Amino acid sequence: MSESVKIVEKKPIPSEATMIIGLPDVGLVGLIATSYLISELNLEEIAYMDSDLLPPVVVLHKGVSHAPLRIYGNKNLIAVISELAVPAPAIYTIMREIVDWGEAKKVKRIVSMGGIPIESRQSIKEPEVFGAASNQELLDTLSKKGLKIMNEGYIVGPQALSMRYSVSKKVPAIAILAQSFYNYPDPQAAAMALKELSKISDVKVDISKLLEKGEEIRLKARDTMKRTQQEMNRMQKAQEYDLPLYV
Amino acid sequence: MVSEKRKKRSNLDILDEYLEELKTLTDKIMGSSFPEGPSWNTETCCLHALSNVFITPREVIVTADLPNIEPETVKVEMVDENLIEITAKMKKKVRFADLGIYHRQGQFSFLRCQGRVDVAVDAEKMKISCEEGILEVRFPRKNRHELKSE
Repeated sequence: MSESVKIVEKKPIPSEATMIIGLPDVGLVGLIATSYLISELNLEEIAYMDSDLLPPVVVLHKGVSHAPLRIYGNKNLIAVISELAVPAPAIYTIMREIVDWGEAKKVKRIVSMGGIPIESRQSIKEPEVFGAASNQELLDTLSKKGLKIMNEGYIVGPQALSMRYSVSKKVPAIAILAQSFYNYPDPQAAAMALKELSKISDVKVDISKLLEKGEEIRLKARDTMKRTQQEMNRMQKAQEYDLPLYV
Repeated sequence: MVSEKRKKRSNLDILDEYLEELKTLTDKIMGSSFPEGPSWNTETCCLHALSNVFITPREVIVTADLPNIEPETVKVEMVDENLIEITAKMKKKVRFADLGIYHRQGQFSFLRCQGRVDVAVDAEKMKISCEEGILEVRFPRKNRHELKSE
């Protein structure tokens, strides 16, 4: 565990749980999806991250201060969100700590939710969702359950690191990525990602409320999106548009 | 002597212009890199909308995220030859309290954004479309010259 970052546990942490990570990223897809999941399943705050690498910020909800990067859970599920754009230079240490902590808590798999930026997103009625996995066996399982596979491409940012560190820790990891706007909050993409999550896991939520609240979320999420975009630029997120070369 | 003075003044003018341009450019770069300040204006009752400007060889495409608006109220204006302003009226007023904020007061009726375009565009030929609150404005670029090969 790194000294500059630690996870402070507030409640007993379940073992053998599925860990879902939804950090601010393209279209805020992962953050919107995971926040909605937390709210719909009434997950309680079980831990938070304390780190000098994060800006000196607390978030107030109903007058009570909270760490911006928090972990929620119930018996079967652990959900990690950050209400703050994670600074690009801190992302390695923070993701390593989250994966290390997940391994220590014996999570059965890590699911990273996010978006794939699509230039023509406004002309897409229903965004498609693609999956990637840390090993072939897991990928075959996703495919059998009907998730489209992202065959070739780059993943940049939190999902990339959760995948990379999970492989080194031998924790099965999945990325669920919905086509989305690059720098506009995209609740519809988040809803589609949750729909696909329900196909491949027992995490099931009704997405209708999320779709209904779409415009409200887009208004509320402008500032988080703006700050996330600055960090995405620093992470060279635009590389996700590139075509990989593997002959 | 007179012509030398004129020349000197003229050089200083050029330098002034250069410094002014540099300042504008620096403000622009810093502004986009560190967009500080609130994303609202209570005096004009506007919330700032997110927007993008794409410059292609043939056209300039400006998009804006305009949730909760009445599409027929969208207004696209050229503030000057390089600055585009988009305004739209929201379906219903949004108060800070509607966003869960009770320590501020104010209500907002409009979404507004500005986009800087560093190439000449033909504003009279702009095409506007708005779907699901995503506005797209396409401007043909001006001053395109084809070089004839012999």
